[in-house]
Amino acid sequence: MKQILLITDGCSNVGVSPVVAAAQAFAEGITVNVVGVLDQGDLGEFGSAEIEEIARAGGGLSRLAHTRQLSQTVQMLTRKTVVQTIQQAVHRELKQVLGTSSIEGLPPEKRSEVVRVIDELGETTKLKVALLIDASASMKPKMQAVEEAIRDLSLSLQARQGRSEIAVFHFPGSAHGDDCMMDLNWTADVRGVTQFLPRLQMRGTTPTGPALMHVVDFFRTPSQFLGNNNDETDGMMSDYVV
Amino acid sequence: MTTSFDWKLPRGTLIHGKWKQNRYRVERLLGEGANGKVFLVERQRTWYAMKISSDAVDLQSEVNVLQSIAKQRQAGRHEAYLIDVDDFRNSDGVDYPFYVMRYIRGMTLFDYLAKQGMDWFPVVGYSLLVKLAQLHSEQWTFGDLKVENVLVGDYGRAELVDYGGVTGFGKSVRQFTEIYDRGYWNAGSRTADAKYDLFSFAVLCIQIHESRRLAALTASLLPQNRAPEELLKLARVNPVLRTMEDWLSKALRGEFAHTQEAAKSWQQWQHKHSRHAPSAPVPRWMKGLFVASAALLATTIYWLLRAGL
Repeated sequence: MKQILLITDGCSNVGVSPVVAAAQAFAEGITVNVVGVLDQGDLGEFGSAEIEEIARAGGGLSRLAHTRQLSQTVQMLTRKTVVQTIQQAVHRELKQVLGTSSIEGLPPEKRSEVVRVIDELGETTKLKVALLIDASASMKPKMQAVEEAIRDLSLSLQARQGRSEIAVFHFPGSAHGDDCMMDLNWTADVRGVTQFLPRLQMRGTTPTGPALMHVVDFFRTPSQFLGNNNDETDGMMSDYVV
Repeated sequence: MTTSFDWKLPRGTLIHGKWKQNRYRVERLLGEGANGKVFLVERQRTWYAMKISSDAVDLQSEVNVLQSIAKQRQAGRHEAYLIDVDDFRNSDGVDYPFYVMRYIRGMTLFDYLAKQGMDWFPVVGYSLLVKLAQLHSEQWTFGDLKVENVLVGDYGRAELVDYGGVTGFGKSVRQFTEIYDRGYWNAGSRTADAKYDLFSFAVLCIQIHESRRLAALTASLLPQNRAPEELLKLARVNPVLRTMEDWLSKALRGEFAHTQEAAKSWQQWQHKHSRHAPSAPVPRWMKGLFVASAALLATTIYWLLRAGL
């Protein structure tokens, strides 16, 4: 199962629309979740409308959260999406086998069986989550909280029975015009990795859409991202399941 | 997990089960769990607690856990916890799943100790450990152990409520609260085992005695500095917690082999604690009463002696 989790605090302003990019991700079997970080004030109507639409196009969920609740929100979205993705698959099966399209339509005993299967799959399926972090100027004071939320997510995922891995990217990538940069390659454990997110101020644009496209690319052909600024590469990028 | 829904069920609302046709009358809201609301309901002059959720899969998953536990305990003398599972159609035209459980009369842990006094803390604690030991012997972790999820009945009998976090050993804990979480304190994984609950139990002890200092500690510590040692440092400041430092240290560091051992060690602490605990000073009105009755006795004797002469 493949997920992208976008953490941002504003609107995209360069390149392809992030809604289009999210739709492309979903078409390739990757669910896109979005967390809008708000501290002092809000994202503005346009910003929150955008993150909602990105998630809808990406088949995922969106939430607004203060930095304080970031860890909880990130975990809740990841977990809910795992269950939801399995549910969608189960729904299709239900339609074929039982003629009803929803779990709610099943009598309690059958529902119990179906949910048992959903829970079991949710705990054991292989999971890959790519985190895409908005590192534009306004996000700078929130980087520590974001990093902490990522560590916490990794801790929760480690507790699963199925293999879980995360990768981390930030955007904008660099002054050389890269849309996005890899901070951590697929890893099951982020303990001992210090400060993987950049604390430097990036240039002003927010290329959310192009960055999303890059991460989708990465899921497809991870090798092109190798040799970036990171030595955490351990070649664990095989065998992900849909 | 936070799928709260805004609707209310006013007192007197009738809830008609879709599949089994049972009828319940709503009395009042009892509380809100992480994934639904719990109401006090009545059916054939018996009170029950009813949990209603807007997420069928989430609720069913909790019901599955309760059913598994019920099956394991069938042979025993335990009262049925799960009474009924069904759906009902709300006035908004949407079907909501619910389950009905035994209604536990009791107070929240904070209220109970505030009303009955801290003398009851060791008894309530022991009672809670026994409950956990049973769950653990059946290979379940309670998961979301915290002050809000413990109800106390008469004579300090503790009951666990909200089974939304209950997880089979070896799986990832389904629901937890940060400050009670082993992972949050860099003290271990979020994989369900008996030690996970014992860790939360130790934090719960600290929360009961030093809630303000605990809140201040969690607010001030950097994530990488959270450690069991910090919790123990805080415990040493409190006169009661200081006496149980060994116990807390073992629970926070995962050094109890199993929950029975933790319960036994708790008993030993209780034994010592009850002997060394400073008893409350005699109130002044009682001293006054003693002086008055002594004076009365003296007068009576004097009067008797005179009368006798």
